[in-house]
Amino acid sequence: MRQSVSGNPPAGALYFAGIDIGSTMTKVVLTDEHSNLLAVVKGPTGPEHRRLANEVMRQALEHAGLSIGDISYIVATGYGRLNVPFADRQITELSCHARGVSSLFPKVRTAIDIGGQDAKCMRIANGRLVDFVMNDRCAAGTGRFLEVTAATLGIKLEDMGAMSLRATRRIKISSMCTIFAQQEVVALLSQGEQPENVLAGLHDALASRVAALARRLGIEPDVVLTGGVAKNIGMVKAMRQSLGVEVLVPEEPLITGALGAAILAKEAYARAAAAGETLPAKSRRLEEATFFSQEQP
Amino acid sequence: MSWFMGIDIGSAYAKGVILKDFEPVASHITISGANYRATADAIRAELIRRAGLSWNDIGNTVAAGSGADNVYFASRKASDIVCTARGINHVFPQARTAIDVGSQSARAIRLDEDGTVTNFAISEKCAAGSGRFVEVIANVLRVDLNDFGSLAARSRNPITFSTGCAVFGESEAITRICEGVPKEDIAAGVNEALAGKIYSLVKKVKPEEPCAICGGGALNTALVAAIERTLGTSLLVPPHPQLVTALGAAIIGVASGSGKD
Repeated sequence: MRQSVSGNPPAGALYFAGIDIGSTMTKVVLTDEHSNLLAVVKGPTGPEHRRLANEVMRQALEHAGLSIGDISYIVATGYGRLNVPFADRQITELSCHARGVSSLFPKVRTAIDIGGQDAKCMRIANGRLVDFVMNDRCAAGTGRFLEVTAATLGIKLEDMGAMSLRATRRIKISSMCTIFAQQEVVALLSQGEQPENVLAGLHDALASRVAALARRLGIEPDVVLTGGVAKNIGMVKAMRQSLGVEVLVPEEPLITGALGAAILAKEAYARAAAAGETLPAKSRRLEEATFFSQEQP
Repeated sequence: MSWFMGIDIGSAYAKGVILKDFEPVASHITISGANYRATADAIRAELIRRAGLSWNDIGNTVAAGSGADNVYFASRKASDIVCTARGINHVFPQARTAIDVGSQSARAIRLDEDGTVTNFAISEKCAAGSGRFVEVIANVLRVDLNDFGSLAARSRNPITFSTGCAVFGESEAITRICEGVPKEDIAAGVNEALAGKIYSLVKKVKPEEPCAICGGGALNTALVAAIERTLGTSLLVPPHPQLVTALGAAIIGVASGSGKD
């Protein structure tokens, strides 16, 4: 394990960590006891969650000048949350997202998170999750829809949104299914349609499906959009159009889950402390971030 | 002019048949490609060549399939459902239910003893409910579609897909390959998944036996067996399952007489 490069942290200071292992990206947030961000690190989630969780946490600690033993409480979330050996507790991504989003937008009532593998719509009241609907059954209602069709168009995912804004007209995509839409895109391009116009239609298609999901819950402002898809300016615009309300986006839309996990870590710690419980003083250590995790001692 | 042509341009394959007195004298199957109009021309030329005829010998041409509008030389268009029912009725007059598994859609059709459609249901919104799911997984497994059925038939432990989506299913298949799961178990798993979707579709039309199956999906023998297991009945499989709808189109042409001026 690499030691922190800086000096010892101030005595008595408390630190918390949230780690969110999503299908595409792993995110770590380190905070102090006032939930100020000390480090934010993202890395692609590979087939080896466990190794990556260690590696991303190591980078975050290094950035904050802390060691793993300085962290009072760690919450893991995301679909890979059970693969985080150093976490004190696992909390579902829905609760963590709701907490993270409401810390950034105290007036949020509806949070929509569109990731690479699912879409979640959350009803939030007083900073807590009260209801949700999600789609993890059909790729056409998730960020995957744009990933697949971007590949068909030969366009980088991060360029899609800006490019869609240059459309002169918005082509309606009639296919429901991602695979059939892919074929429809090829046919449209072969008919000489402008890629920008096709892209605009693809954004509209995804936005209308996610909006239909959100309507099952009821859309109450403020509405906040998070997840990787929120980084796509074309999707933010299409969601505003489909929902008919203003859509707010955090500066860092990928980290709300990890941020919420860190805040919930702090709250769990505070509750335990107030109840006079002594938290299990874990002698935490990070595993060596070698490629072959089976070589661990 | 006692020859009649039926052309069925599907999303993956274009099929054509020439009939003389209700008996096929020539047939042809080719990839639909990107230019359906050119494909229609090519099918017509090849059918005529195979039958040893000229275009003027053809009394009537009926077009079906998603590309039917591109068969510009057709005397008329006919619904795929009606054509499939006619075709099945011609091959199996006893069949009361027809299942058509195509690349872009699956259909369940109830028909009477005359081959008239009495009820039908279509699945065309989702690739996981059509033959496309098998095509996607065959591509991941690097298996030729023609070999897919015999590969899947060797499986003793089919995987269960956790998803009902072909895109997520593709990722799941890749994960299973990485885990060392044998190809045949993945192939059998996708057949089971598709059979489950087809079961739900067939139930919608209140099926009656005997049941027949056609379309390219019927060439996948392990898929046919999986559907037989879920439905609890054996399926009649025509010798050329892909040609059934084109055959039905040609029969409709015969029935409507020589309409070409």
